[in-house]
Amino acid sequence: MREPVTVQVGGFANYVGSHFWNFQDELLGLADDPDADPVFKNDALDMDVLYRSGETHQGIPTYCPRLVSVGSRGSLGSLSSSGNLGQTSASADQLNVATWQSGSVTRSVSKPHGRNLFLQSLVEEGQNPSTSNGASNSQKSVEDKDLIDCLENNVNFWTDYSKVQYHPQSLYELHGSWTDFDKFDNYGSAQEVVSDWSQIEEMNERLRFFVEECDHIQGIQFIVDDSGGFSSVAAQFLENIADDYTNTPVLLYCVRDPMTLGSSRRNQRESIMRALHDAVSFSKLSSFCNLMVPIGPPSLSRSYMSSYLYIQDEKPFHASAVCAAAIHSITVPFRLQRTGPSSDLAHSSGNLDIGELLHILSDQGQQNMVTALDVAMPAPSLTDRDAMGNIEMKLHSLTPEISDEDEDPYSVESLVVHGALDKGGQRTSISQVKDSVCSVYEARETKPKFSHLTASLCPLPVPLPFPSIFRGNIGRHGEILSDHAEESQPKGSLDIESIPMAARLRSSSAVLPFIERRSGSLQKHGVARGAIGSLVLRDWGFGREEVEDMAEHLAKLLGPFHPAMDLTLDSD
Amino acid sequence: MSLRVLNPNAEVLNKSAALHMNINAAKGLQDVLKTNLGPKGTIKMLVGGAGDIKLTKDGNTLLKEMQIQNPTAIMIARTAVAQDDTSGDGTTSTVLFIGELMKQSERCIDEGTHPRFLVDGFDVAKRATLEFLEKFKTSVVMGDEPDREILKMIARTTLRTKLYEGLADQLTDIVVNAVLCIRKPDEPIDLFMVEIMHMRHKFDVDTRLVEGLVLDHGSRHPDMKRRAENCYILTCNVSLEYEKSEINAGFFYSNAEQREKMVAAERRQVDERVKRIIELKNKVCAGNDKNFVVINQKGIDPPSLDLLARAGIIGLRRAKRRNMERLVLACGGEAVDSVDDLTEDCLGWAGLVYEHTLGEEKYTFIENVKNPRSCTILIKGPNDHTIAQIKDAVRDGLRSVKNTVEDEAVVLGAGAFEVAAKKHLIDNVKKTVKGRAQLGVEAFADALLVIPKTLAENSGLDTQDVIVALQNEHDRGLVVGLNHHSGEPIDPQMEGIFDNYSVKRQIINSGPIIASQLLLVDEVIRAGRNMRKPT
Repeated sequence: MREPVTVQVGGFANYVGSHFWNFQDELLGLADDPDADPVFKNDALDMDVLYRSGETHQGIPTYCPRLVSVGSRGSLGSLSSSGNLGQTSASADQLNVATWQSGSVTRSVSKPHGRNLFLQSLVEEGQNPSTSNGASNSQKSVEDKDLIDCLENNVNFWTDYSKVQYHPQSLYELHGSWTDFDKFDNYGSAQEVVSDWSQIEEMNERLRFFVEECDHIQGIQFIVDDSGGFSSVAAQFLENIADDYTNTPVLLYCVRDPMTLGSSRRNQRESIMRALHDAVSFSKLSSFCNLMVPIGPPSLSRSYMSSYLYIQDEKPFHASAVCAAAIHSITVPFRLQRTGPSSDLAHSSGNLDIGELLHILSDQGQQNMVTALDVAMPAPSLTDRDAMGNIEMKLHSLTPEISDEDEDPYSVESLVVHGALDKGGQRTSISQVKDSVCSVYEARETKPKFSHLTASLCPLPVPLPFPSIFRGNIGRHGEILSDHAEESQPKGSLDIESIPMAARLRSSSAVLPFIERRSGSLQKHGVARGAIGSLVLRDWGFGREEVEDMAEHLAKLLGPFHPAMDLTLDSD
Repeated sequence: MSLRVLNPNAEVLNKSAALHMNINAAKGLQDVLKTNLGPKGTIKMLVGGAGDIKLTKDGNTLLKEMQIQNPTAIMIARTAVAQDDTSGDGTTSTVLFIGELMKQSERCIDEGTHPRFLVDGFDVAKRATLEFLEKFKTSVVMGDEPDREILKMIARTTLRTKLYEGLADQLTDIVVNAVLCIRKPDEPIDLFMVEIMHMRHKFDVDTRLVEGLVLDHGSRHPDMKRRAENCYILTCNVSLEYEKSEINAGFFYSNAEQREKMVAAERRQVDERVKRIIELKNKVCAGNDKNFVVINQKGIDPPSLDLLARAGIIGLRRAKRRNMERLVLACGGEAVDSVDDLTEDCLGWAGLVYEHTLGEEKYTFIENVKNPRSCTILIKGPNDHTIAQIKDAVRDGLRSVKNTVEDEAVVLGAGAFEVAAKKHLIDNVKKTVKGRAQLGVEAFADALLVIPKTLAENSGLDTQDVIVALQNEHDRGLVVGLNHHSGEPIDPQMEGIFDNYSVKRQIINSGPIIASQLLLVDEVIRAGRNMRKPT
């Protein structure tokens, strides 16, 4: 068994993570549920890879994600930072202070965050599990509907829709006395937090706790919200990881809330700050990881996916769900059963571990470490021979600012298809998936240099706290209905049990504009003589040389795409 | 107003309004922290939105928790927190002193004095007070064998303001012994060499000093001993786990046999390293009942653990980076980066190594070491907030002992210094100053009294009675401080109440600087919302 450890840093990263762990929790639940679809039962997905088992002080066994989540102070809502395992601490007003007897005690109690309906129902379920199963079903489904409505309209914290139990070591809140986390919107705003070694050390300690338990750590998957100061925190964290765990591969997802990119009402200074932030955080983050996947298109509601999905950009609850689903699909190969190349299992094929995936994508071909993430949610039925079945056409990019043309003969890809259905809504077998994907690739004009396929029967389960984002043309098992009546009501977890997914990581020249833009803005605003942004960079604590180093690093990332330019650089 | 022309949105406060805004902010901050000072102060319990509890009496912690918005207050708070960073204590005193300086100045300014004169006076008074402090301090000769009693008194004075007496006295011994343990003659003290470890277990009074080290993890093999005596300790940073090398990534084989071969070859390298360690063990432990413990900063995978367990070696993986340094100081030997040239000299020694399990948490104790230069303070407590509070107190206690060792001096506490300094300023210094700057000296002198006043107030005594009594004694040439139980003057030397010299110096130094800056502000401009940092 080879274990990945997951790290989430920042607001939106935790929103994504919360959905991600909900999927895992749902999978665990379905595997034990006698009424569930048998595809969830066979142990194709090894959950021990992501989870650890332990026990509380009281001896109650626990099963928690190997996760370190870093957020700002107060971002946990009603969840205590010591996790939701074990006892709830005695209420503050009854507590007597044993450590201070000679003086009086003043209490300052902030207004407690109320648990919403969903969290309340979880607590109740935990207290009397017998009634939740036995109670009359009709009454329960009404209740479920209320829960979903409550989540649709009222999610303020990522913990509001999380149904996972977290280990006390998992959740860490950053605090900065002079840092305003509401305006934590650029690289420099985290200076105080980053310079406080005790906080950075505490994060390292939390991670070490989980790593120490792993017999063979396969890698670290790191989700960061790179839209603000958290990318500086993450860069510091990643640097320490690179020092401490030298040979452990790090897979970095940079996620962004669509809203942070969308706002256009900016003055010139703000837009320069924005451009510099993007460039600096990209340069810093990419220098301490092995593979980087930027996720976060400016608008999901207007993207190609909108024919199946109804996403409200202003709700991080919605947008994060799509990112989480894509990340879930990418992680599927990490926990498939390990088999030889020749033996075929009935339920899965093509396992990879993080190290192998990184090796495939970044060490071959162009030596490019920035990859684009494409996703088809839901995946089309594969056995169709018409355009509908062309999985290639249905994959849409979640990576922003990349070019649409995909004619790079040196591109390298890893495609994951899980839970695919055929035209009649039956699950396709692994060999069918393989055949149809192969035929699609055969038909392509420019074939990628290398392509890896992972297939699994197990679709993406839709847990109860998943947002209602599916349009009316999606069926119960995620099949695409052609003869549906146009419904205005989006479907959610009550109508849809699971959906087939396809996701692809693609290392090709398509990401060139993404890198070029960052490199360009650093050159223009930071390095060039008399640039307006150089003052901003100095405020953020970068000396001139550091800025030049960053610019050089970005130029190096561009190198693989311009073999000619590479030569001129060498001759300097 | 010219600024209005430039930026119509700017808000401007001028002259007295600006000054009063600053004064009020300083006074406000003073009011918040006032009740904390001294061994009879109030403890504050902060309860967060999710029911998290934080108990604190420490000015530093409080300032950090408060999320101050007012720009002036932030300036003062930053100074006070910087005070804590440099000397480890005196945050509350700094805030009180700055607040009081502003309060005294307000009186003078309302009577028509220009702030400039006050600032000049502050400057004179500050220099005079620092000179006075040099004379007033009690020198302590450290030498090779520091005076344990004086260190204990210093630590006790600090700790008793943070925890109840019983626990404070227990911790006093712990922190003094810890600092003396890591102290090397002629080198600065590195407090990182004191590991602070906590266990949520038993009670606060079970907190103890472990001469040796406590690690927060255990061995990961069922057959390894849970307790061993007479142990050699190998501290290393060597990867004992199978890692795929870059070239032979797993998908380049074409059949199972080939893969097996490849894995076996890579595996052999790791095994080789483990064998080296086992060889050393066999060499040093042959024919005696000694044990062997490997503590590795990198990973050890199950096959390697298996080999080690079979050889009777206890192996721990993924030790903290800082513990590598501490281990060497505690047990001796050296931290090795490769297993190529292992000799007995690389090994450290511990009389006892054992594992303690609490639920899923494991702790490894390395004790009975010879001549330790690193130690662990093991904090126990029934719940997280108690542990956190003790931790903060221990940290302050350690700092106070360290300061004393490095200052080679202490200052009489319980308000004795402040009363004496005031007397000195009024009697001797004020006369030497010409003109209205005298007012500044006087304000400074009065402001010093805020410490004994607040101590008295927090103990429920009458402030004026106390101050008069103290000043009378000082006029008679006796140096006295305040007994917070009775309100009577006492001799701090007899009672063993001492403060850190460097802390006091820092307070006298930084307080007037900030106060002067704030007093000289005659215009506050807030232009647009982009000025994120008001300082």
